Amino acid sequence: MAYLVRNDIVQYACTCGQLRPISFLYFCRHCLKLRCGYCVCHEVESHYCSNCLEILPSAEARLKKNRHVPKHIRKCQACFDCPNCLNTLAVRGTTVSVRDPEDPSKVNSQKKYYHACFFCRWTTRDVGLPDQAVQTVSANGWAQKNTSNLQRITVLLEHAKLLGMLERHEREQREKKFTTRFRRNFSHLPGLTAAHVRKRAGLPPELPAPSTIKVNLAEFQPAVAKDTVQELPSDIFTEELDISRVTTLAQRFAQPETQPENIEDLLPMYKHLSTKQSQRCRECEHNVSKPELNPSSIKFKIQQAAYFHVPEVRFVTIEPPIGGKPSEVVILFINPSQHPTTLSFITLQEAEDEMKQYHSEGSADTSVQQGEAPPSLSSLTKPVTVVEEQKPIDISLTGEVLLPAPDIEIILPPKDDAAEYDDSGETQQFHDDPKIVIHRRANKASLRFTVVPKTDFIGENCVIGFAFRYTYVNRISSPAISTSEQKPQKVQLCTRVFMNCGKILEGTQ
Amino acid sequence: MIKTYYESGSLSTERQAVVIEFGNCYTKVGFAGEAGPRSIVPSEVRSLKDGRTRKVFDAVKADDQYNLLVEFIHNLYFRHLLVSPKDRRVVVVESVLCPTAIREMLAKVFFVHFEVSSLLFVPSHVVALSTLGVNTALVVDMGATETVVIPVCEGVAVLHAWQAQPLAAKAVEGQISDMLKEREKSDPLEAEGYNNLTEKIIEDIKVRACFVTTLERTQKAREGKPCPCPPSINYLVGPGSNKINISGDVRENAFNILFEQDADQISVSTMMLDAITKCPIDMRKPLAENILLIGGTSMAVGMKARIQEELNFLVSSPQYSEKLKLRTFKFHTPPAKENYTAWLGGAIYGATDIVSTRSLSKEAYLKDRKVPDWVSLIYNTLNEGVKRSV
Repeated sequence: MAYLVRNDIVQYACTCGQLRPISFLYFCRHCLKLRCGYCVCHEVESHYCSNCLEILPSAEARLKKNRHVPKHIRKCQACFDCPNCLNTLAVRGTTVSVRDPEDPSKVNSQKKYYHACFFCRWTTRDVGLPDQAVQTVSANGWAQKNTSNLQRITVLLEHAKLLGMLERHEREQREKKFTTRFRRNFSHLPGLTAAHVRKRAGLPPELPAPSTIKVNLAEFQPAVAKDTVQELPSDIFTEELDISRVTTLAQRFAQPETQPENIEDLLPMYKHLSTKQSQRCRECEHNVSKPELNPSSIKFKIQQAAYFHVPEVRFVTIEPPIGGKPSEVVILFINPSQHPTTLSFITLQEAEDEMKQYHSEGSADTSVQQGEAPPSLSSLTKPVTVVEEQKPIDISLTGEVLLPAPDIEIILPPKDDAAEYDDSGETQQFHDDPKIVIHRRANKASLRFTVVPKTDFIGENCVIGFAFRYTYVNRISSPAISTSEQKPQKVQLCTRVFMNCGKILEGTQ
Repeated sequence: MIKTYYESGSLSTERQAVVIEFGNCYTKVGFAGEAGPRSIVPSEVRSLKDGRTRKVFDAVKADDQYNLLVEFIHNLYFRHLLVSPKDRRVVVVESVLCPTAIREMLAKVFFVHFEVSSLLFVPSHVVALSTLGVNTALVVDMGATETVVIPVCEGVAVLHAWQAQPLAAKAVEGQISDMLKEREKSDPLEAEGYNNLTEKIIEDIKVRACFVTTLERTQKAREGKPCPCPPSINYLVGPGSNKINISGDVRENAFNILFEQDADQISVSTMMLDAITKCPIDMRKPLAENILLIGGTSMAVGMKARIQEELNFLVSSPQYSEKLKLRTFKFHTPPAKENYTAWLGGAIYGATDIVSTRSLSKEAYLKDRKVPDWVSLIYNTLNEGVKRSV
């Protein structure tokens, strides 16, 4: 599958104007539009450790700085990355013989564990970390050594917060009338405490009295500059430098707070977590893809991929394209849905006009919807949906394709998994034009097209483009329709396809 | 559909703002109120089509730039920060000299593509001071492409005294590359190694092998009495592990490009003194006694010592002895590595109320599609009436 569709031979135009192979596209069943990774809203669903596949709830992950620190000593080992080559460290066990403290003549053997990298052979013993008695290393055993900075930064943070409060207090004094009016507006909302009301109104929480702020501010001690700086070590001019003992930038930046310069100062790093992401349609805010929470599962709760809904297009045969000469191309259309679909072909220009018309209607709708909410209420009302403007398709057509007349319709039967194994041949009869449809089987049909490559693009790829309409059965009942009619809706959709027929050759005559 | 008041996230505890400092070479990302960035990542994007990596801020066309930024920031959120960008506040630490086009582009990417709830641009030179708790300092940002000196007095950047020159990491790397090419001619045996030198390798040589020498040794060399060179090292290049020899001369003198006065007599140290000279006379002493060096290039071994030597030497030289009567220069040590000091300043700012009161909100941006900027008089006048009418 990956090989068949994951190349740039056949590309579909997404609603936003990006060109993607069908396997990279989503289909929103609520808007009935194609969506791609560029025009959907990505969201982080869950965090997990890619080494031991343990899920961490996101709040906990944030507290732990997205580095994996297992809470309990369980089967799962503490996961660390090698500070030298940034791969995952493995735990190695050895038996060490230890002299018994009570009876010096006796020697006990003890199981000890250390971490080693199987890629670069770095071990925790290299940097003098003691071996552990248990497999799981507690995080504070290898704590980072910059606690003095941390204390100072906490003081600075408090100081900055106090300054911010003082500034706000002064401004609120100035605008007192304005803020009281605000509060009154929200007093009718039930169940909201004063703090919530402030937050709703876009106001930060209540301030302490300015006198206490000033007292606290006076306690702060600013940094003092010194007239001595770190000197250049004098032995740098005489000592031989072993460059393999100096860390690279990548190694330093992997530990941003300490940025060790010598190999000896490298410490194992907690493994960076990975995320599972869901994709959401920006217009209707429905999910188009949502994975299962469990990191070891590769299944999805929701997966509205385009190849489940939109007819797939593949090349069957291509005559070598020669500049200016018509050549025959056979293209296969596959209906992936559970309902029969009807295909008809239109040019790109017609499809664009149709879309423009649709788009202008759509934009008129949204402008009404946004309305003019008072700015104070903006956080209470539904947030404004932002949709990026469409981009023009970034491809130049180097070949003309002659399409069948737009009134010719080709019916594709529904996908039937059992039919794949049915050798009995065709049972259904379609009244096809044999000049167009050259082969049929189950939910697939091969159609014949004529392509005329342009003469002034010899040596370049022959790119053709066309659009096709197909009928789609919408089985999602929107709340407005479900009351009046329960029947699935049949709609006609249109999609644009760009195909690469290979290099244009020069005519031989 | 009616949402209850308790449902949406904004009512519960306020989510931490994301703090990003975009750099030409490296971008620092993390959360407000934390002591260090989560990641320092190269400002590069790998193209899906041909697998090449491209610098994010190298694009010429606006369209191209937009796509690069979208991809880069997507990676920042989903591979490094691991949070959803939607409805979260963002603080961007930027240089005051950042082009308006880039600011506008960033605002568009954040608001339109990532739908963040608010965006706050903070000037890197000013916020870096919040890592010290002082209000007045001469801030020297030695970055990848430029060294920018801006004096900050009582929390306000003295803009008319700013100095910016392309005397930074790229200049040093250019110098290393030139010096190594010189050697290549004399050493045909190692030609293969020299041919494979990429930008990354030159950067690696700069970081791991080079250092900033003392003023005394440089002066002796200028007088024609050079001191013995530091030992040379062997360096392996590329997949073939071709050996090249990095001479002591390269190791010692590559960084000198920052301190050699060019035709206009400008070097990193004269920039600092010029910035002080342009300030009013009563500000000069506090500035000279509060110098803050930030940016990755200032982390080079011996850089601070050299800058101090240079400053002491220059103020007594005829070039400045008449103009400046300063005798002491004092340096600050922030509680962070130099390359993320400005980021930390942004993280401290981002944890205060300022982020909720001074940010550009999504609603405000979508109304005007403009970012308030200090260079624009529409936003930069005291008269409120003028602002309203425009």
